[in-house]
Amino acid sequence: MIGSKILLVDDEEIFCDNMAKLLQNRQYKVTAVYNGESAIRALEKENFDVVVLDLKMPGMNGITTLKEIKKLGLFTETLLLTGHGSVDAAIEAIRLGAYDFLTKPCEVDELVEKIEGAWRKKDEAWKKDLENKLKKVVESPSDVFKLFD
Amino acid sequence: MKPSGTLVEILYVKAVTYTKKTEHTGAGMDQNREGKNKKDYSRLFRRFIFLTMVCSLFPLLLAGWAINIHYSEFARERILKTLQTRVEYHKKIIELFLKENKTRLDFIARTNSIEFLIKEGNLTHILNNINRDDWVLTDIGIIDENGDHAAYVGPYKLIDKNYSNAFWFKEVMEKEIYTSDMFMGFRKEPHFIMAVTKKENGRRWILRATVNTDSFRSLVENVRIGRTGDVYILNSKGIYQTSPGFSGEILTQASGFKGEIHDDLKFRFLEIVDRDVKIKKIVCETWLKDPRWLLVVRVGEKEFFEDIRHANRATLVSLHLSALIILIVTVFVTNHMVQVIKKRDSELEEMNTQLMQAGKLASIGELSAGVAHEINNPLAIIMTEHQLLLDAEKRTPITDPEFGEQFAGSLSQIGTQVRRCAHITKNLMKFARRTKSVIETININVFVREVIDLMEREAKSDGITFKSVLDDTIPPILTDPSQLQQVLLNIINNAIAAHENKGYGMITIATRLSNDKTGIVIIVEDTGNGIKDEDIEKVFDPFFTTKSPGQGTGLGLSICYSIVKQLGGNIHVESDVGKGTLFTLTFPLKPPENLLKHG
Ligand SMILES: Nc1ncnc2c1ncn2[C@@H]1O[C@H](COP(=O)(O)OP(=O)(O)OP(=O)(O)O)[C@@H](O)[C@H]1O
Ligand SMILES: [Mg+2]
Repeated sequence: MIGSKILLVDDEEIFCDNMAKLLQNRQYKVTAVYNGESAIRALEKENFDVVVLDLKMPGMNGITTLKEIKKLGLFTETLLLTGHGSVDAAIEAIRLGAYDFLTKPCEVDELVEKIEGAWRKKDEAWKKDLENKLKKVVESPSDVFKLFD
Repeated sequence: MKPSGTLVEILYVKAVTYTKKTEHTGAGMDQNREGKNKKDYSRLFRRFIFLTMVCSLFPLLLAGWAINIHYSEFARERILKTLQTRVEYHKKIIELFLKENKTRLDFIARTNSIEFLIKEGNLTHILNNINRDDWVLTDIGIIDENGDHAAYVGPYKLIDKNYSNAFWFKEVMEKEIYTSDMFMGFRKEPHFIMAVTKKENGRRWILRATVNTDSFRSLVENVRIGRTGDVYILNSKGIYQTSPGFSGEILTQASGFKGEIHDDLKFRFLEIVDRDVKIKKIVCETWLKDPRWLLVVRVGEKEFFEDIRHANRATLVSLHLSALIILIVTVFVTNHMVQVIKKRDSELEEMNTQLMQAGKLASIGELSAGVAHEINNPLAIIMTEHQLLLDAEKRTPITDPEFGEQFAGSLSQIGTQVRRCAHITKNLMKFARRTKSVIETININVFVREVIDLMEREAKSDGITFKSVLDDTIPPILTDPSQLQQVLLNIINNAIAAHENKGYGMITIATRLSNDKTGIVIIVEDTGNGIKDEDIEKVFDPFFTTKSPGQGTGLGLSICYSIVKQLGGNIHVESDVGKGTLFTLTFPLKPPENLLKHG
């Protein structure tokens, strides 16, 4: 979806920047950070539609970062970038609620495809949530302010 | 069969060290190795045979021969002893005969006066009495001092003969009692006489008798010893006193006579040639006491020792026969044993190569996973850079067409090569040991059908059809399906690739229960180009490929190998160049314990 907000998290800075540029070229709004902590901080400040998370990072790795993100309870879908040897970790990530994983190195088009998928899922969840909230507002109009939480 | 016994053990250890030695000669000498091994085994074989000969055959033969010789000696001695006894006995009989007659004459002479003896009829009466039982004396006579016959009874006309010149006359006069040698005398017939002298009234007379030659000869000669025995008598000058039975004549000189008188019984061995046939004889000689005659007994050695020879031959034949049997049995047993050892060694070697293969794969696994990981990141960056350039090119097209062309070409080449690298690292990382295997119960047939479905579309464009021969009775197995899929995909991909310049072909996948019923077998057979003999050993080696650079990494089958081993199975390949290749995969119904624990 053109204009979706993407958060790229990878300790390999050049890769991260390059990928960011490539996604920007494809009309996404991209923020690139180089570690898990910065990612969490960015997510606290801003809403992102999709987070692309590298699995292997110094400090907070992909899995811990993912767990933290899930704790925030945002409408964000997470995609994981993994090496080939770490299929098990990828499977665990999906179990923890990641949308999907991609093995590095990957083509940008593959990534875009997955991002689109993730965005649709996020959008559906978000819409559903909104619907629920609207229903609640209809039932009790005083809750209308909660919509903007 | 486990060889037992120290000797065997020593030999076995030898055999193992031989093969071990050759193993260390390194990969470059593979061809030599086979030849050398063959030589080692035949050397082992020869050693075994040699040792058996030294330890069993040789002593057996030695002992056999020794016993045989000893026994023959002993038997010979016994036989000679018997011969000796018989000859001695014979000698005694002859001596007794002579002595008896002498005594008789002496007795007659002592008890009767000459007057009585010469009286008509008395001498006849005496002769008749002596000859009553056997015809012992031919004639008898009384001779006076002058050698004239005073009386004579006998078949010859000798009454008017004068003996004063006869050789025996003087002897009798000297010796008083005398036995002559055989001689012809007046009667022209071989005979011998006995005589005694007596003094009466100052005058001497002689009582003389002729021993019946026939009865004496029959006494001597007819006592046969054995079938071929000859018995005869020689006098002290070596003249035949009785007919010797072979070519000699009575009263002729015996050849080779030595004339040495002794009191023993002597054996001689003699070889005579009779009508071109050599005959061995045993000659037994003993001297009579009085007269000094030599009693000779000649027997054929062959006849006498025939029994021993027979026994000898029988024992020797059976000895050599048993030696031969031992030898044959040893050859057979040794051959069998060497075969067993050979088989065991080759199994060991097979296992060693498998271990080596596994070791190779393990080290590749560790190394490659590390390297691939490190290379992956730069690769990822290059890939993004490549993509960025492509993006930039789209946004700002290059005005110089030549440069634009060059740029586009290079870019696309960079893309291809980066993807190639990525493919390699991807394959390498498949080696990295999985910490967790997902073990599930699967139905192999269903599984195989899924894999075929997956591959069929791809293969169709190459003109390749799939055929499955699935045994529906095989039980489900516990295994890691994703790994198994990887194995089958790699093998099928190879099979498709093997049809490269054929344009058509068939890949057959069959399943069945293993022969020992403890696992299942998956067979993948193709009609492709096949694998050359010199390559077949290398196909499981990492990076071995016959594909052109960039087409194959050579990792497909080594990945299969490591996975199959990890799952506790086996992989085997056979191939016919130009006809096709057959992969046989065996999997146990349950994977090894360690996999189950991790899973
Ligand atoms: N079914 C087959 N028929 C003929 N040759 C085969 C077959 N399977 C394997 N080979 C030979 O074995 C070699 C090694 O196979 P392997 O799968 O390990 O590597 P590869 O196929 O060459 O490379 P990759 O698997 O990375 O594409 C091949 O290059 C080929 O020569
Ligand atoms: Mg292959």
